[in-house]
Amino acid sequence: MNDQDTIVAVATPHGESAISMLRISGPKCLSLVDNVFKRKSPPRPRRSSHGDYISLSDELLDDVVYCYYQGPSSYTGEDSLEIMCHGNPLIASKVLHDLVGRGCRQADPGEFTQRAFLNGRIDLTQAEAVMELIQARSDKAIRVANNQLRGAFGKQLAVLKDQLLSNVAVIEAYIDFPEEDLPEEQKQAQINGIQKVMTFCSRLIDSSKYAALLRDGVKTLILGEPNAGKSSLLNCLLGFDRAIVSEEPGTTRDFLQERLILGDYSIQLLDTAGLREAEGTIERQGILKTIELAEEADVFLLVVDGSLPCPTLPEEILGKMNSENTIVIRNKEDLPKSEEGYSILSGFSSVSICAKDGNGLEGLRNTLFSLIDSNFSSADDELILINARHSLALNELKECLEQALAKFELDESAELIASDMRGAIDAIGRILGRIDNEDMLDVLFSSFCIGK
Amino acid sequence: MNFLKDPFDVIVCGAGHAGCEAALAAARMGVRTLVLSGNIDTIAQMSCNPAIGGVAKGQIVREIDALGGEMAVNTDVTGIQFRLLNASKGPAVQSPRAQCDKRAYALRMKHVLELQENLQVFQATVTGLIFKDGKVVGCRTNIDVDFHAKTVVITTGTFLRGLMHIGKNKNEGGRMGDYSAKTLSGSFLEAGIELERLKTGTPPRLLGRTIDFNNLEEQKGDFDPTLFAFHDTRDERDLFHVEQKGETLAGWKPGTDQVSCWITYTSEQTANVVNENLHLSAMYGGEIEGTGPRYCPSIEDKFVRFADRSRHLLFLEPEGRHTDEYYINGLSTSLPFETQIEMIRSISGLEEAQLLRPAYAVEYDFAPPTQVFPHLESKKVENLFFAGQINGTSGYEEAACQGLVAGVNAALKVRGDEPLVLKRHDGYIGVLIDDLVTKGTQEPYRMFTSRAEHRLLFNHGSSENRMFDYAKKYRLLADSRISKIEKKRSDIEGCIKWMNSNRVGELTWANLVRRNQPDFEMPKELMGYSKEVRDEAMYQVKYDGYLKREWKQVEKLKNVENIKIPVGFDFLTVNGLKKECALKLNDFQPANLGQASRISGVNPADISILMIRFSS
Ligand SMILES: Nc1nc2c(ncn2[C@@H]2O[C@H](COP(=O)(O)OP(=O)(O)OP(=O)(O)O)[C@@H](O)[C@H]2O)c(=O)[nH]1
Ligand SMILES: [Mg+2]
Repeated sequence: MNDQDTIVAVATPHGESAISMLRISGPKCLSLVDNVFKRKSPPRPRRSSHGDYISLSDELLDDVVYCYYQGPSSYTGEDSLEIMCHGNPLIASKVLHDLVGRGCRQADPGEFTQRAFLNGRIDLTQAEAVMELIQARSDKAIRVANNQLRGAFGKQLAVLKDQLLSNVAVIEAYIDFPEEDLPEEQKQAQINGIQKVMTFCSRLIDSSKYAALLRDGVKTLILGEPNAGKSSLLNCLLGFDRAIVSEEPGTTRDFLQERLILGDYSIQLLDTAGLREAEGTIERQGILKTIELAEEADVFLLVVDGSLPCPTLPEEILGKMNSENTIVIRNKEDLPKSEEGYSILSGFSSVSICAKDGNGLEGLRNTLFSLIDSNFSSADDELILINARHSLALNELKECLEQALAKFELDESAELIASDMRGAIDAIGRILGRIDNEDMLDVLFSSFCIGK
Repeated sequence: MNFLKDPFDVIVCGAGHAGCEAALAAARMGVRTLVLSGNIDTIAQMSCNPAIGGVAKGQIVREIDALGGEMAVNTDVTGIQFRLLNASKGPAVQSPRAQCDKRAYALRMKHVLELQENLQVFQATVTGLIFKDGKVVGCRTNIDVDFHAKTVVITTGTFLRGLMHIGKNKNEGGRMGDYSAKTLSGSFLEAGIELERLKTGTPPRLLGRTIDFNNLEEQKGDFDPTLFAFHDTRDERDLFHVEQKGETLAGWKPGTDQVSCWITYTSEQTANVVNENLHLSAMYGGEIEGTGPRYCPSIEDKFVRFADRSRHLLFLEPEGRHTDEYYINGLSTSLPFETQIEMIRSISGLEEAQLLRPAYAVEYDFAPPTQVFPHLESKKVENLFFAGQINGTSGYEEAACQGLVAGVNAALKVRGDEPLVLKRHDGYIGVLIDDLVTKGTQEPYRMFTSRAEHRLLFNHGSSENRMFDYAKKYRLLADSRISKIEKKRSDIEGCIKWMNSNRVGELTWANLVRRNQPDFEMPKELMGYSKEVRDEAMYQVKYDGYLKREWKQVEKLKNVENIKIPVGFDFLTVNGLKKECALKLNDFQPANLGQASRISGVNPADISILMIRFSS
């Protein structure tokens, strides 16, 4: 076996369970426990522990339960680690990404069973039974992936692939046919071509909502006048006191950020400074910051004090809100209700709550969930959805291209550049299906007149 | 047949580039070998251009030398112009190429065959094979004499039902002036071996004194030639020239005059002639079906597919020192003879040129190579081996290396030993055979460096090192050479160690080498090593990072490569494998899991299942 590498996979099926389990097998397991959970003492084998999963970028991803198994008494027979995180596929993906960043390799289908078998942990019939299951599941996964690849994502990737192949074909033509009457080598054209792919690729990574969600969660801005109860709402949604609440208007000066899990979604909640004609400069800065945050927000939670007349909001913010991204929250429903001026907010869905005692919170959660769900889960073709595997491949593609470009700059020889370019093609092939050298040759021979 | 001492261990049918290497390899391994050729005057004939090597092919020839083959020495001895291609690029893709004296090449090879111990050369055309219990046991010939052997190697090139076309004119034969093996195809079909057709072509030959070289560009050989054989480890005495028997001289020595090639171009007039007569071309007029090789298009193809190009490059290559015949590289065609003349007249320098031989296209049978194992034995008929163009390849070098492998494996089979199978990371020969047997081919297969995923490992100078373990294990080289190579390998190691541990100021020499300084000077401490040793050490030091990366990938794949699949295994018996996949694998009979994983439509989950099944 390939005993140097440590493999990782999400073991629970996507989106079907309350917890997600990641399974890791290989020599790195013990050091992973140390590095991720910052333990003071070594973990006791087969004993579950609680810990904060701290990512490489020092972010708290989730509080998880993990269990370390010492080889050979583990499923695979190697050192193994199981990490149970909250049943949100986004968290699982983030953890997966992080583990890959720490040098683990994503397991091939059936690879754990394969290792278990090869290390003598299970017998042939057991192994085969497991493999049958995996086969059935991977068939389904392939079907799902294929459907996706037929859509916009697939089309965009095919464009990338064609551009790459034609770049590689040029390099290979100069290597393999030095005697031919090929046009002058054009370094700049090559660089341009690669840069084109790179921008395209970055755009694909960035524009993919999934990747953005994976990185940040759904950006949800809590805004409203001072003292409307924004911080109270934040605390309420989080279930613990994160923000300072006081009757003094203008308590929150800078914005606060917290993460919330709602169904399948990870939400980035942002509590902001109250909006009003400012007196102090510090406060004015807070308001400007809120306007800036509004630029990138996915969802707005407009909190109003329901006992007061409807506030007037800055145009910069009002212009960004629409019925699909905004929920009006009429807070303080325990106080007498005012109707003055509320007709201008009639286009938005609205929920009445009392942030002080949590009344109406369930209704708000539901409204928020359906709003996000209808925005992000639509399977329409325009929407580019990439999964963790895809985004890993795209990142690798980018890396290879960066290396190739660097070599162009240094005037390194063609076969070294080609080796990076080949890596790029392999990366894209990991999404689209393996790209054979024959495909490259087809491009080569149709673009160059080879043959003395 | 008394004088022939029938039965033999190995019979090689055909004495082209594949056949010669097969026969020599088997005989040199000590088994009794017979090589049959329909015409022994055409042994090792260069049917197409008078050149050996080129990008990737040059590496193949050096690998052949490292495995004890003859092609490299034969080229060095009979070469009349040597050039290192890609000299301006990195060492991994630099390749030697030589123009050879066509007659000298063939004649020397014939002589080597004649002198070879354990080898009998005999002139007879093989007309059919003799089978017994699903195995081949010998062959029939046109002189009504049967020959028997434990193994048979088929190296019949383009001769199987060969049909040549010049416009509407047709001639039977595998090469102009030669015959066609018409009945042998029947034997294969009878044994259940499928055959398909391929086509290729060759350009006209001209009389040199009728060419006007004045306005043509001259292409000279390198002042300091790169030879093919590893003369630093070879025994000096095996470098002999047939015309100077007993002398230990290289046929070509630095300072001797090399001959030049010449460059010219097609003209607008050429394009007109071709375009107006397209319907008369055998290939475009529907006389031949199927597409020709993409890398060697006919001139018709070039003008049709690249209509925007105003001219096409042509090389005039001399065919030898003692002939005035020139080969026009780039003008392969199946247009009628009159059109060929018109075409020639339209080319600068060739206005008055006389044709010595017309261009023609040739169609022939080949046996799709997915029907052989990686050691080149037929999956259908035991003891029957295939090598060369019959496996769908093109080129002398591609043919020769397969011949060598088939010859070695026929001998190993006779001895009951494990076959020799080169891996994809060993060298171009490994890539070539693996591509053939796992993917098959739609056109005559030619090697390109781009086919090798590990090409950075395949610089030509390392061929001997890369083949060494096999050469030693199968005793393909003389003991004296084996020990010289061992010495060379340890010298290379020593050289590298020195560069890694000695410093110039802050940096080690190795660091300095990797810095890419143009004025880098070899430290005098290393000048005691031979140039070959220093070059190889420099390569390994300079590309250290890349080579390590390649090896890491190789290691990763090794697991699956090492898991063998028993011959005749029924994949339908594997639980969990999809039926569709099982049937495909049954059809294919991959020899190991690595090969199985490269078959299209077999996915990683399937391989996991198989891994479990076979590693028990
Ligand atoms: N009666 C009543 N009071 C509430 C409710 N929610 C919040 N409050 C009170 O309103 C005051 C302001 O609440 P905060 O949550 O600090 O308001 P904010 O919008 O964050 O204010 P700034 O940060 O100053 O802009 C506090 O005294 C809260 O106790 C509610 O539902 N009912
Ligand atoms: Mg506040």
